[in-house]
Amino acid sequence: MSRAAIQVEPTAQAPGAVAIRGVRKGFAGRSRKSAGRLALDGFDLDVRAGEFLCLLGPSGCGKSTLLNMLAGFSAADAGEISVDGEQVRGPGPERGVLFQTPMLFPWLTTLDNVLYGPKARGAERGAARAEAQELLRVVGLESSSESYPHELSGGMRHRAAFARVLVNRPRLLLMDEPFGALDAITRVAMQRFLLQLWERDRMTVVFVTHDVEEAVLLGDRICVMSGTPGRTRAVFDVDLPRPRELELTDTVEFAHLKRQVREALEGSH
Amino acid sequence: MASTTDTQVGAAPLQAAEEQLTLAGGRRGASYSRLLWGAAGIVLFLLGWEALAYLRDDPVILPTVQETARTYVDYLARRYPAAVGDTLWQHALVSVARIAAGWGVGVLLGIAVGGLMSSVPLLRHLIDPLIEITRPLPPLAFIPLFIVWFGIGETSKFLLILVGVVPIMIIATVAALDAVPRELEQAGRSLGGSPLRVLLTVRLRSALPSIITGMRLAMGGAWTSIVAVELIAATSGLGYLINNAGVNLQTPLVLSGIVTISILGIVFDTLLRLLQRAVDPTHR
Ligand SMILES: Nc1ncnc2c1ncn2[C@@H]1O[C@H](COP(=O)(O)OP(=O)(O)OP(=O)(O)O)[C@@H](O)[C@H]1O
Ligand SMILES: [Mg+2]
Repeated sequence: MSRAAIQVEPTAQAPGAVAIRGVRKGFAGRSRKSAGRLALDGFDLDVRAGEFLCLLGPSGCGKSTLLNMLAGFSAADAGEISVDGEQVRGPGPERGVLFQTPMLFPWLTTLDNVLYGPKARGAERGAARAEAQELLRVVGLESSSESYPHELSGGMRHRAAFARVLVNRPRLLLMDEPFGALDAITRVAMQRFLLQLWERDRMTVVFVTHDVEEAVLLGDRICVMSGTPGRTRAVFDVDLPRPRELELTDTVEFAHLKRQVREALEGSH
Repeated sequence: MASTTDTQVGAAPLQAAEEQLTLAGGRRGASYSRLLWGAAGIVLFLLGWEALAYLRDDPVILPTVQETARTYVDYLARRYPAAVGDTLWQHALVSVARIAAGWGVGVLLGIAVGGLMSSVPLLRHLIDPLIEITRPLPPLAFIPLFIVWFGIGETSKFLLILVGVVPIMIIATVAALDAVPRELEQAGRSLGGSPLRVLLTVRLRSALPSIITGMRLAMGGAWTSIVAVELIAATSGLGYLINNAGVNLQTPLVLSGIVTISILGIVFDTLLRLLQRAVDPTHR
């Protein structure tokens, strides 16, 4: 996938701004005796339109819980979550979700996977097909459009999942440790790929990760969360130049910021 | 299913492709020699049968292979019982028609009930114990009851097949639907699919290969039920033919009936396997 491959018309709509206000979310205990636990309590966060925000925090601090509520898979117990002033009530194609595993539909070819969204929305067939094929070209899968997911490599599956979400022109992209299950080499390739896509489309991104270096490399801002119930512990602005390349990780500024973020994270237990 | 294929990420593409090739090649070679061994097994079995038949030299107890084959071909066109009865194939068709009706309705019923149980917890709690209670009962135990209730007509036979098919289908459907990863449905919803659309095109679709496995198992259950009920209460069908021929000591005809059931069973299972392969690209 060369740099030149990603120079097409942006596919995103105007990026969406996220407002999270006083959100609380608890889970009932297993039995009646064991008390339920609060995953999030009084959680506030704003994400500016077109911003790349990384969510970083210890395991179990409620990152996935928050993302699920943003996606509309579950509802908050209290508080408000809105995208562009509109309250989130359920899942929708304007909020694209990328899971830790690509979750492609194994019975559909790559192309039909990408076409699932347009078909569900009743988009015009020919146009949708052309757009899907164009996106597959952008993600470097044009020659695999008739392959089934199990015939693709791990990285290819992730790129197919990207195409499947991007064809909906989402205003907001939600990613929950999307590269966590990849090997180091594929992971770096996917990070570079994501950066190029984002330079092109500039949609709003909320990106959950465990990896401090990944957060600093990708994000405009990093929100470090503290554990149970999850709260914002610190927010870092990442004032590193864009477009970002992997070489950036060797600079002093990068190392300095990384260290600050790691210290905040370690203090958050 | 999706999660297993999807979590196998990380393997270098070349290595994965190579593995697939050797696997496919290995499988082809294995299936070739398996076919040979399988054929050899059948030939050995027939030879043993033939030898026993000659040793015993009593066509009522054990006719020779040729005798059986001759009877088989003969009754393809000949009526049994003579004059008033049906040919072997007509008997087979009668049984197949009963199977088709009972199995078809039972499969649809099982999928519907299983689908409801999987999405409505209350229904699940309600029906689960009923299935647990009826599952260990062989369908044959219901024969006298059904005959008392519904007579020896088609209704009893139809219901008996249902008893053999529906619980299997319910269990298979519930298990298949439960195994669909929640994230797969969430992906469908967040791509813009309505709840109904995701139910049909993701949840059910994803469960389909396993549901077809259930259909194959249920087909076996259906044959058990129908032959059993035809043995007792019928004037046509393969079970009737086998039983009647046995009573009249026409052993070659009994064996012909058994062979016919076996052939039909293999044919239907093969059709279902082809269907399964068609809907599951990972098993091609
Ligand atoms: N379905 C659930 N039922 C009960 N408790 C849950 C459920 N989902 C999450 N929790 C609890 O809520 C808290 C937050 O979980 P969450 O999955 O959001 O953490 P996370 O930050 O994503 O962790 P990780 O980094 O390990 O993925 C945890 O304490 C977890 O035990
Ligand atoms: Mg998580």
